[in-house]
Amino acid sequence: MKKLFSLFLVLVLAFCAVTAAFADDITLDVIICQYGPNTNNWFERGGTGMDGSNFVEEFEAANPGIKLNLEVVSWNDVHQVVDTRIANGNAPDILNLDTFSEFLPDDLLLPVEEYTTEELFADFFPAFMQDFLVDGEYWAVPDLASARALYYNVDILEEAGVEVPTTWAELEDAAQAIIDFYDGEVYPWGIDMTTDEGQAAFAYYTWGNGGGFTDEDGEWALNSDENVEAIEYAIGLVNAGYTNPNPATQTRYDLQDMFATGKLAMMIGPNQIPTYVKDKGGDINMATASLPANEGKVSASVGVKDVMMAFRDDSVEDQDARNEAISAFMTFFYDPDNYVGWVSMEDFLPAVNSAVEALVEENPSFEAWLNVLATCKFYPTSKAEWAQVRQGVTTVEQNALTGADVRAELDALQAEITGE
Amino acid sequence: MKRYPEIKKQNLRMAVLLILGLVLALILMSLPLYTFEIGVYTKKSPNTFAGDEKYIAARAEAEAAADEYRAQGFDVEVSESVVERTNSKGKTTSLFTFTVNERNSKNFWSFLGKDLPSSKVLICILGLMAFSVIFMFLGLSGSLDLLHRYLEPRSRIFRNLVIACLMAAIILIPVFILLNNVTFSRKLSLYNAELITEGKEAFYSSMDAFLFNGTMGENIRDALSGLKIEHSALVWLILPAFFISLLAAFSLRRGEIQSSLLKTCLYFFVIVVCVITLYPYYVMLITAFRSNAESLDMYFLHMFPTKWIWSNLTDIIHRGVPRFLLNSLFIAGGATGLAMLCGIPAAYALARMNFRGKKIFLGYVIMSQMFSPVVLLIGISQLMTTLHLNNTLWGLMLINAAFNQAFAIWLLRGTFVSISPEMEQAALIDGCGTIGALTKVLIPMAAPGIVTALIFVFINAWNEYTVATILISTAQYRPITVGITQFSSFNMIEWQYMFAASLLATLPVVILFMFIEKHLTAGLTSGGVKG
Amino acid sequence: MTTGINRHKWEPYLWLLPSTLLVSVFVLFPILIVFKLSFSEISPAGVVGGFIGFDNYVEAINLPAFKAVMLNTLWWVLSVVIISTILGFIIALVLNQKFHGRKIARSILVFPWATSLVIQASVWNYIIKYEYGSLNNVLLNLGIIKQAINFRSSYQIEFIWECWVGIFVTVPFVTFCVLSGLQSIDVSLYEAATMDGAGFWHKLRHITLPLVKPSLTVSTVLNIIYVFNSFPIVYTMTKGAPAHKTDTMITYLYMLSFYERKKGPATALSVIGFLILCLCAGIYMMTVMRKEEQQ
Repeated sequence: MKKLFSLFLVLVLAFCAVTAAFADDITLDVIICQYGPNTNNWFERGGTGMDGSNFVEEFEAANPGIKLNLEVVSWNDVHQVVDTRIANGNAPDILNLDTFSEFLPDDLLLPVEEYTTEELFADFFPAFMQDFLVDGEYWAVPDLASARALYYNVDILEEAGVEVPTTWAELEDAAQAIIDFYDGEVYPWGIDMTTDEGQAAFAYYTWGNGGGFTDEDGEWALNSDENVEAIEYAIGLVNAGYTNPNPATQTRYDLQDMFATGKLAMMIGPNQIPTYVKDKGGDINMATASLPANEGKVSASVGVKDVMMAFRDDSVEDQDARNEAISAFMTFFYDPDNYVGWVSMEDFLPAVNSAVEALVEENPSFEAWLNVLATCKFYPTSKAEWAQVRQGVTTVEQNALTGADVRAELDALQAEITGE
Repeated sequence: MKRYPEIKKQNLRMAVLLILGLVLALILMSLPLYTFEIGVYTKKSPNTFAGDEKYIAARAEAEAAADEYRAQGFDVEVSESVVERTNSKGKTTSLFTFTVNERNSKNFWSFLGKDLPSSKVLICILGLMAFSVIFMFLGLSGSLDLLHRYLEPRSRIFRNLVIACLMAAIILIPVFILLNNVTFSRKLSLYNAELITEGKEAFYSSMDAFLFNGTMGENIRDALSGLKIEHSALVWLILPAFFISLLAAFSLRRGEIQSSLLKTCLYFFVIVVCVITLYPYYVMLITAFRSNAESLDMYFLHMFPTKWIWSNLTDIIHRGVPRFLLNSLFIAGGATGLAMLCGIPAAYALARMNFRGKKIFLGYVIMSQMFSPVVLLIGISQLMTTLHLNNTLWGLMLINAAFNQAFAIWLLRGTFVSISPEMEQAALIDGCGTIGALTKVLIPMAAPGIVTALIFVFINAWNEYTVATILISTAQYRPITVGITQFSSFNMIEWQYMFAASLLATLPVVILFMFIEKHLTAGLTSGGVKG
Repeated sequence: MTTGINRHKWEPYLWLLPSTLLVSVFVLFPILIVFKLSFSEISPAGVVGGFIGFDNYVEAINLPAFKAVMLNTLWWVLSVVIISTILGFIIALVLNQKFHGRKIARSILVFPWATSLVIQASVWNYIIKYEYGSLNNVLLNLGIIKQAINFRSSYQIEFIWECWVGIFVTVPFVTFCVLSGLQSIDVSLYEAATMDGAGFWHKLRHITLPLVKPSLTVSTVLNIIYVFNSFPIVYTMTKGAPAHKTDTMITYLYMLSFYERKKGPATALSVIGFLILCLCAGIYMMTVMRKEEQQ
């Protein structure tokens, strides 16, 4: 018995004694989200995705005195990981995510000017940076972007004898024609209202009806008449049987798979769809078009951009040295030698001018996408309530799918968000 | 006790029953169970209106095709259907469909002697039926001594053979049905869509011979494009017919119909449970060894991958899976050891000693389970930072051991309580210390319970995911559960890698289980327990 | 059942010490922190603020989905625990018989338990897909169905599937708990009963059940807790979609915390769940232990 107890004590003491305390080097905690199958291999120590090497080792070789504790986290877990760290007061130094505004009210972020050189700052697409301006300061920098477009299966549309729809009414006609021609074997239209992507569906339809998340003044306007009409239209498509049968649980992956096998005629998707279809061995004749809009309304392209941000850490004595280290990271990351390889590997669109030339050279289709990107509308991610809104509109859609009244739901959401 | 003539009479009755079952099966097989609806020709014409140019052209095309078939002696007819709608602009659209159909039905005998995979199976089934009857007659001469369940060796062998033959036939019936469906709907669509090309000619000619007596020749591909196979639900009645025979065979072998029935049911139950249990693993296995491209063949046209991609295994090995497995092994092994080291003494005290606060302690450990780790993350993370155990395997090991204390203590206590303390008391009187009594007497006797607790703790620690995502921040310390997430990223989920890694992750647990399973069954020798 | 072999008053406590230490440090401490958090203000990003009394609790109870989620949780726990206990018990009885291939059957039954829940749920997700799920495929190949079935046509059915996966992974646990109890039953008891002419049901009721009861109690109490706290199945299969209609409490508070960013109410909700569990498990344990003492 005593033996057991003393053994236990020894164990506990031994663990406690293992304390890591290396003084001189600055260590940066970095969290990167996992975009593609090769993200880990490209970034993490020991990986060989970056032309036989990896980001961490290359960075540390180029910047002696700075150590990276870089972690690639899956999108499913990243909020859980980040929030837990923040609650414990050990927020990461650098974080890659899809939003930044939720960290603003607690004053957790470091302004961009503290860690970007003028040269780098000028390199970011100005239109992108505009969205990161809150209260006169920039709080994040874009790391990459993607644009969404309508993908359609040329063969299916041709056989069924329909044109690519440009308006909502044409979309319904086309859908009916495809249903008739294929006896329902092919779904005409893909809708994804799952918990992770509901906000995208909201954007596709409301923007195509002149509505949207906010009004002209940038205030939340979730329950506008245009929005109600748009969501009712989308739900109507589902109820008429024009779409995949389970929009609340069929994710983007499911839609992509169906599209690649010719089970789905049209879907709205990001610019990675062709690569995805090719990787999966799909052999379909596809093309892109702009999203259909309601009669008399302007079709809006939908863009998504993710961000990099740096957190404050008041416990560090030498703030300047820390900022410099973060700056070194940013400079190294956005260096065309590294950044171009990364963006093209992940198959996204770039966020800095210096990378454009090399990327277009590598893949000419990028140019068309960059043009689309220039006209894109983006989510209002700079507003602090964005995280709740994003979840809220998804809940509204899912409720509407099970028969709830769209207007009442949107009214309730608007009231909750604006606190009225 | 039954006498010899009675037994002989019973044997005869069973023999008749066996033959009756088989005859019933044969009758069912002769019914026209399979219907083939062959849309030898289909033409769909969109934006077509009755009487317009497009309509006339399409109609003429369909008639011409039908005439061609009639010339070959088929009984076909042309049918048309139309869907008309008014679209949003007030314009009317319509879609015409012309089909040329032929229907014919087949029974089991039509499959005999054809070059189809199912024909071979059918021959096997018929052979097995014949053999079972022959074996039955050969083994009928001996008789069963009911009291001692003794049968002469020769009869015993033959009667066993009857059972074996019938069982094999029962397994082959679903195989026959499955193969037919696979051939006529699945494989056909693959060849028609040109997803596979190997053996195409041979396949088409065998189909031609079966359905059209070889008259189709060149046109076979078009003729088969609209093939619909339908089998009547009566097919499944063949199985009960065989079961009757099997039951008769069992009672020939064992004498009593009731215990034969029980045994048959027992095996049936176990097989059903095992099949359901293994089903998801079958799905994992075939997905794990498909190529990325073939994983899009999600219609599962093949029951198995067309080509086994073993490189999926080497790929995941290169992406760190062995390292993750080792980490998991270390965490789970350590946690199990620690949980046992702390849990056994506690359970022993709870089962054998009287003291105040016993119930409070039991309540305390069970209470420790009542928060899901998902909820406790913030607290755990804070604790680990204080103890400097963040991003270490030790931290995870301790957490897992602590979270499994409740189960270990409760199960072990239950086991210890159900074992009579007499043996230990004897050992104590013999001069063993308390620890001696525990390790030398109680633990060996409580082996089943301890093994269950051991497996449980190991599996729980092995599968822990949530805490690991928070505590571990470098790739080299990731356990397998977290490591697997790298195969599902923003752009795509690599199912084949994910499932291959999961199978690898399941294996160690199953192997561990097989090693210690015998302790689970060891049980206690008579006299060890007095209830 | 206990015997007086303690020589010192403090000896039992010494035996309990390692276990107590382990649980107190690594479980009790985080639990206390959760209690503290439930009375604190927490910002959407997770920064912990000051004491705000019962505000979080009030907000949690007034959440629109609260009632529906509680009801779901009740169904989830009841159906999974009851069905898997019955099935597990039956399977254990069967696996305790002697037959050819028993070892193989037992090893096969470990499989669902040995695979992590995330993977298990992913596979089932994969199996029941409408468009190209394996289940539809197998049924079509066997000719049992003529057309693919949409196995997820409504959220009620999706919830039933989640319960099925829950049962699927819980049954082995019950089975092995019961098996370990069955193993320690003396065979001579059955022989004696058979001599007395007792039938199958009589033996089951009067020999098997009483002796298996301790293990069955343990497995039931723990199952209630584990199933209540089970997170990956619902999260992987539906994420509570549509609109929390398939959420159980634990996934709901996860969504609340990390998707809707209402961390305060989420923490309060977890404490409410804890109290409910304490109550249920407490009542169950009290009755069982009282009976045990009476015997």
